[in-house]
Amino acid sequence: MQIRPILAAMRHHKAGTVLIALQIALTLAIVCNALFIIQQRITRMSRPSGVSESNLFVIRSDWADKSDTQRIDAQMQADLIALRQLGSVQDAASTNSFPLRGTGWDNYIKLQPDQPRMTTDSAIFFSDDHTLATLGTRLIEGRNFTASEVAAQKPRDAMHAAQVIISKDLARRLFPQGSALGKTIYVSMGQAPSTVIGVTDTLQAHMTGSWAGPYAYNAVLIPARLLNDYTYYLVRAKPGQLEAAMRDAPKALFAQSRMRIIDHKDGVMSFAQVRQRAYERDVGMAILMGIISVVLLAITAAGIVGLTSFWVGQRRKQIGVRRALGATRGDILSYFLTENLLIGIGGVLAGAVLAIGINLWMVTQFEMARLSLAYVVAGVAALLVLGQGAVLAPALRASRVSPVEATRSV
Amino acid sequence: MLKMTHLSKVYRTEVVETYALRDFNIDVKEGEFVAVTGPSGSGKTTFLTIAGLLETFTGGEYHLDGIEVSNLNDNARSKIRNEKIGFIFQAFNLIPDLNVFDNIEVPLRYRGMKAAERKQRIMESLERVGLASRAKHYPAELSGGQQQRVAIARALAGSPRLLLADEPTGNLDTQMARGVLELLEEIHRDGATIVMVTHDPELAARAQRNVHIIDGQVVELSEDPRFHSVHAVADGAHG
Repeated sequence: MQIRPILAAMRHHKAGTVLIALQIALTLAIVCNALFIIQQRITRMSRPSGVSESNLFVIRSDWADKSDTQRIDAQMQADLIALRQLGSVQDAASTNSFPLRGTGWDNYIKLQPDQPRMTTDSAIFFSDDHTLATLGTRLIEGRNFTASEVAAQKPRDAMHAAQVIISKDLARRLFPQGSALGKTIYVSMGQAPSTVIGVTDTLQAHMTGSWAGPYAYNAVLIPARLLNDYTYYLVRAKPGQLEAAMRDAPKALFAQSRMRIIDHKDGVMSFAQVRQRAYERDVGMAILMGIISVVLLAITAAGIVGLTSFWVGQRRKQIGVRRALGATRGDILSYFLTENLLIGIGGVLAGAVLAIGINLWMVTQFEMARLSLAYVVAGVAALLVLGQGAVLAPALRASRVSPVEATRSV
Repeated sequence: MLKMTHLSKVYRTEVVETYALRDFNIDVKEGEFVAVTGPSGSGKTTFLTIAGLLETFTGGEYHLDGIEVSNLNDNARSKIRNEKIGFIFQAFNLIPDLNVFDNIEVPLRYRGMKAAERKQRIMESLERVGLASRAKHYPAELSGGQQQRVAIARALAGSPRLLLADEPTGNLDTQMARGVLELLEEIHRDGATIVMVTHDPELAARAQRNVHIIDGQVVELSEDPRFHSVHAVADGAHG
């Protein structure tokens, strides 16, 4: 390795050297953080919902006449019977919201009625005795609701649920010392106690935003039909009959009553579509960060190719002289690779500091997670390899310069 | 030391073949100081580039220090250039980004020589050309004559078997040229074999032997009567 003379020679090409090192530094800093953001989004998107998603779909039915809640209640019960009777349908339940919906009810959960601050926050899913089977979510403790426990609930009335089923994450949060079964919790703003009669396996809340991180798996199932302006029907198709069920179900509902609106575009959505919609911003952000990373890496590689090609052209005579003095093609190749490696090392050292600095700034400004050092290490390795790859073609061209160039006068 | 027999060098394009050297024969013995002269375009630079293994030739044979070089691969040719040949170019060909010390070090590094030995050789060769105090100077900080002396020091540092000089005083004024020539004569007196290409008859006269090239062939020899081991051949001479 002839590092000292290469460093000495680089002092005479300061501008180009510093610019490329700076470009490498900025690329590393931005790419590390971009890849970290992508990884975080992918992790979030791959979280389990706790729902058996493959044969599940959702229908939103908006009532044409919203004034008569008694009629809405009767219609909902008739709709559910009609849906459950379809040949392609395994089960169905009505609800106000469901995992990954994005919006819905979330209430403060307390352990004491006069508790000044909430213990935690949780999604509230209005459910019945068919909900767990329809979602494909397992009970790990206790029992399911019975049909007789399910009552009607108007949106503006004080919520009262004598029995509730809660998700295991919420149970662990509320009762870290032991089982939640039979314990009392307070799920509404009022003073009405609710007894935990069952605990489900993992069940995700409706909220998917980063703010909801600590509450993402808190869910309370309340045995009630919410008589709102609209309702969601969760429908589980028989295995392999999702398409048929998604076709049959709205027809069955309209056969029950035409006094409803089911949006032709997104009134009926498979759970795969629900998931896609829930995370489309994350996908968009990941793609944007990916594009930024690829563009930056391409620009950096192009910069290295361009500058090295320029240097090779500029030093053609010098390369010929080195060849005349005994340099092999390998020596010339190694010269340019080493030169690039030295610039690269300078760039990645500065870039690593910058990457951590940008992340720390984002941690304070945007509640980002701390950048894992593994990303910086991987980024450093990737940029050094990229640099060596980019410099290879011009370096090979340099190695093919004939020693006779030394005798040329220009 | 350097023997070319029926050597030819042809540059081919799609429409024309140009003979730069044709049936070229020369034999330079160890310890000789030979001047190669000839008009522009006669082939003397081509001879020098082939002699220095900077270029390949088309036909014939070339033995350098007893080695037939025509079948050597690029790496072997690089090794011979590095170990057996010292080059002195008209334009000095110092690397402008490196100081005097580093310039002289270039061929020694390619030889894989250890740092201590490199330093010793560099300082010795700088002493010999009278520039030991300029080791840290850059080429641009030196006069033309000093730069050529550095180039000579670089050629000498590797203890080559053969010194090839291409118009070594071509870019120098008379006084500097005289100094460089005296240095070459001194190196020759110490036993070096030198082949110098020049178009300057005065310079050629200082050599032991003159080889004149016209149209790619050796056409004329003038031999110093004191030197009897010369066997250069002038085939197809035009007189």
